[in-house]
Order: sequence, then structure tokens, then C-alpha cells
Amino acid sequence: MNRAIVSLAAFAALGATAWFALRGAGVHRAAPPAAHPMAVPAGEASPASPADRIPEASLVGGPRIPVDLPPFTLTALDGRPTPIARFAGRSLILNFWATWCGPCRQEIPLLESVAKTPADHDLQVVGVAVDHRSAVVEYARRMGISYPLLVGEDDALAVAASLGVADPAFPFTVFTDAHRRIVAVYLGELQHPELQLILGVVRRVNAGTLDLAAARTEIRRGLEHLEAA
Amino acid sequence: MTATLCAFLVSTSALASPWWLRGTGASGDGFLPPDQAFRASAQVAGSEVRVDWEIADGYYLYRSRMRIEAASPDLEVGPLLLPAGEEVHDQYFGTQEIYRHRVVARASLRRSDFGAHPVEIKITYQGCAEAGLCYPPIVKVLFPDEAPVAPTKGPLPAASATAPLHPPTATDEWFAIGAGLVAFLLAGLLARRSRGSARIGS
Repeated sequence: MNRAIVSLAAFAALGATAWFALRGAGVHRAAPPAAHPMAVPAGEASPASPADRIPEASLVGGPRIPVDLPPFTLTALDGRPTPIARFAGRSLILNFWATWCGPCRQEIPLLESVAKTPADHDLQVVGVAVDHRSAVVEYARRMGISYPLLVGEDDALAVAASLGVADPAFPFTVFTDAHRRIVAVYLGELQHPELQLILGVVRRVNAGTLDLAAARTEIRRGLEHLEAA
Repeated sequence: MTATLCAFLVSTSALASPWWLRGTGASGDGFLPPDQAFRASAQVAGSEVRVDWEIADGYYLYRSRMRIEAASPDLEVGPLLLPAGEEVHDQYFGTQEIYRHRVVARASLRRSDFGAHPVEIKITYQGCAEAGLCYPPIVKVLFPDEAPVAPTKGPLPAASATAPLHPPTATDEWFAIGAGLVAFLLAGLLARRSRGSARIGS
């Protein structure tokens, strides 16, 4: 009987000590860094920027914008895979957007006006929605967007990364000449004067009256002038 | 609103500068990276956690897109309590509430791990720049500072009526050590006594 009591007491003492020791360890561990950043996990509803989606090359030395538009294929609204090469021969206005992005939605009518202008037949507006497909289909239907729309999530982010925009915010628009050389990447909501300025320069590049270096300088100066005005 | 947008032109070399550090505006400034536009921090105060967002000038956060959830084991976090925001009208989403400059939110906290894990919360938020740029939803895991904070003001959700967070103090620990020693002493005494009884019996 006494032996049983002794055993019980010993086990109780050991248990109590172990419990308090573990509890104490928990307290002492509770001094982590104030903040531990975590990127949006893959599979989240919205586009994100996890490092594992960024090509290795862009992690070394920061994001880079290529000279030529890289080839890519994304899904069109009708579900068909659509290579960007399908729009060859014309200058591209590649507009990256999302339905949850207010400035993106606001600039769509401006892009729509370019797409519907006969004089701009040498330009091709292509929307790249980085979003859920169902949301884009619904929005495009409600707003009557007439220009081609490509949709993607991780794959569209990969396209953005290939353009040097590895950690995207929206909207951003890539302008190319007729030979798919990237003339400008414009971050933020486009307004009419800025759009006309860039398109005017792109036309002159296509006409052979302006080389790329001069075109870029002209766009930069023009935008500075517009902002200062 | 004057468009303070940035164009990122391809440099004359094969590669251009990092895209969102490069602006061509008169000010030379581009858009801020999201972690500079919205700085989030958190602090545990008693049975609640306070999350503080500092929002850079010219940027805003959407109230409806702010969330909190527990990220460490045996932790329950109540819904995020947010103050009323500034109402703006969105053609597509209707009336939205936004925050500029700063917003502090609270959520109740309940731990059932007796302090075995650091408190870890996951917050989600989404915002834009007034100049016409929106960042994708940002998800962060924070280890809130545990610091004494003045009593809370305003209502708390029902979940706040749960066990408050009481990290053990130094006194608690000394008490535990003392209790362990006393228990061992008692066990020793009992063992000795039982041995003595056995000898008398024989």
C-alpha cells in the first residue's frame, strides 16, 4: 500500500515538474520577430506574389523588362488556348487587369475606344485578366468588352513575370511595336493624354521615323510634361 | 486628380531597372511597394489582439477586404472589429468603405495552449493608390508583440468573453519549482517510512 502511495507521489511530482517545464519553455520561446512576412499562398483567390512563382533569373538583380515580347499562350474567354502570336503584325496594347481592381475597370472604356477606332486598326488591344475565369466572363458580358480577353491565374502571373513584372499590381499595360519589341510598360490607370502620347510614338516607330531609343526618350519626356502640367 | 502615373520604359540596354522603382514623373517617384504603402503591425493586449495599419499618403485600404485568422495551434481569433471607414462609390461594387492614413482594428483572442506557442495571426488586406493602381490582396503572418496595453474601449464580440491570456510570471515558475521539490521530499519521506515499517514488520 505504502509502495503504491510512494509511486503515485513520485509520478505526480515528475508530471508536475515536466508540465511546468514545458510551460516555461513556451513562455521563453514567445519572443519571435515582430513580423514575419508571408506571401499570398498559391491557390488563393487573388493574384499573388510568392517567391516560388518568380523565375530564378528575376530574383537575382531584380525584375527585368525584356526587349522583345516573350511568346506565351493563355486561355481566351471561350476556353481556347490562344497564343499571343495570333495577333502578329500589329502593335499590341497588352492590358493586365483584374475585376476587383477599380482603376482597371475605369480604364477599360478608354481601351475600348481605341479598339473600336478604325484609324487604330494597326493597334491590337488585348486584355489579360489575372483573375478567376468566371468573374472575368461575367464582367466582360456585363460591360460589353469587345476586344480579345485572355484569362489566367498562375499562368498569367508567369506571363507578367516574363515581362519583368514579377510582383504585379494592377493595371499595367505593355506597348509593343509591330515587331513585338516592347516600347513601354505603363504602370497604373491610363488616361487619355498619356495613352495618345504613347500610341503616337508607337505609330512613328512602326512608320520607321523613330527608333526605339528615341521613342522611349520621347515618351518619358512627354509623360513628365503631362505630369507637370 | 492629376495622373501621377509611372511609365517604365525599356532602357536602351537589354534590361531595364526594377519595374516599380522606376518612375518617369516629374517627381521621379514611382508607386510604393505594397509593404511600404501599407505597414501592418500587431500587439496582444490581454484577451485581444490589436492590428495597426499605417497607410502612406495617397493610398487606401478597403474595409471589406480586411480579415484576420489564427495561425498558431490552439488559438482562436474572433472577427476583426474595424471602425467605420470613409464611404466611396464604386460603379461595380457599390458603396465601399475605405481607410486612409491609419486604421486600428481589434479582435478577441483565446489561447488554450497555456502559452506553449507564440501567438501567430494571419491577416489579409487589399488596397490601392489614389493615382490609379491596386495591389493584390496581401496576406501576412504576424507574431504580435505581447505588451501591457490600456484597457480596451468599445464593444468586443461575444468571443471576447473567453479566458484571457495569462502568460506565467516568474513567481509562477518559482512556485512550480518549489512544488516539485516538496513533492520529491514527500515521496522520499514516504519511501523511508515504508522501508522502516517493513523492517519493524520483519
